[in-house]
Amino acid sequence: MEKIRLKIQLACLALLNLGVFQWQTVCFPVLNCHSCPTAIFACPVGIIGQFVGLGLIPLSVVGIVALAGLTVGRFLCGWVCPFGLFQDLLYKIPYIKFDIPRWTRFIKYGVFAGLVVAVPFFLTPAFPAYFCRLCPVATIESAIPWAIINGTTDVISLSIRLAILFAIVVAAMGHRRFFCKTLCPLGAIIAPLNRFAAVFPQRNIDCTDCGVCNKVCPMETTHGVSKHGVFEGAPEECISCLECQKKCPTDAIKLWG
Amino acid sequence: MIRKTLLLCLLAISLFMTVYGGFFRKFLVYDNLEKFDKLKNVGITIKIPGYDNASEDFKPESQWFTEPEVVRAMTFEGIKRYKDGKLISNYPDLRMLKGRIPCPT
Repeated sequence: MEKIRLKIQLACLALLNLGVFQWQTVCFPVLNCHSCPTAIFACPVGIIGQFVGLGLIPLSVVGIVALAGLTVGRFLCGWVCPFGLFQDLLYKIPYIKFDIPRWTRFIKYGVFAGLVVAVPFFLTPAFPAYFCRLCPVATIESAIPWAIINGTTDVISLSIRLAILFAIVVAAMGHRRFFCKTLCPLGAIIAPLNRFAAVFPQRNIDCTDCGVCNKVCPMETTHGVSKHGVFEGAPEECISCLECQKKCPTDAIKLWG
Repeated sequence: MIRKTLLLCLLAISLFMTVYGGFFRKFLVYDNLEKFDKLKNVGITIKIPGYDNASEDFKPESQWFTEPEVVRAMTFEGIKRYKDGKLISNYPDLRMLKGRIPCPT
């Protein structure tokens, strides 16, 4: 399953960044910068920030993200998101592995409220701390390529972006899906809807409450005690990577319930 | 049961938002240069390459845009609007409405 997921992630990375055409009237609900020279779709976080800066809500974008969240939930984070793939690969690099406190998962809601909504609304997106100006995905897909293609005069801004990217890369090498878990504003939008998602790992009656799934989960969800169905502890974090299914001794976990 | 009912309600709302926003919602967008001049009048200066040299070529216009067109204008297309001081795109660069700087670098 892990190999299939890797192949699908690589295919999605290629499909989202083919560069053969641009269809940026539509957002695709993963973090993939539309300023990337080869990006096909618009980034929902960037568009929400831009609209909020004008005092508007992009109904179609919020609707698409909500529809995706209600149907497949954070399955997109686990199987489609290019930056998720990047982090999965980074974690395979031998490096000091560490844990982070559980409360850090709430930072992403602050990032969304602060850097995607409040800063553009009150200070306009031109303010240097606007999310897109700090986004590690935009740094990789947009700032670096454009700095190479066109050169850059804003060395300080680019240096700050690279420093943030470096910090996130180091953190992702030591902790699985560090950015998804703690900082991703798109994850913050989709996470509350994840509880309702149709595509979501569920336990059936074969579950023996051995707790193996809790130990292998990269997003630190927990299965609760003696209760079947969805994962009760932090289900909003589940990215449906199916690590739990792979390790389950009784094969009690199915993606479709 | 409550969960399923809530799911259906949320699905209906998000579907309505997508369809309404994607096909029916329209914005009256003022051309940048109107806003640009207004900002300039109150002492806010935005540098658009070539604007000072070629500003006479521009004619401020206001147009109705669908939401997807506005979404597109806010992405990379917006940046292409001004090149060497000339208007080269049909989309207004909405990023500059509030003195914003184009995204990538």
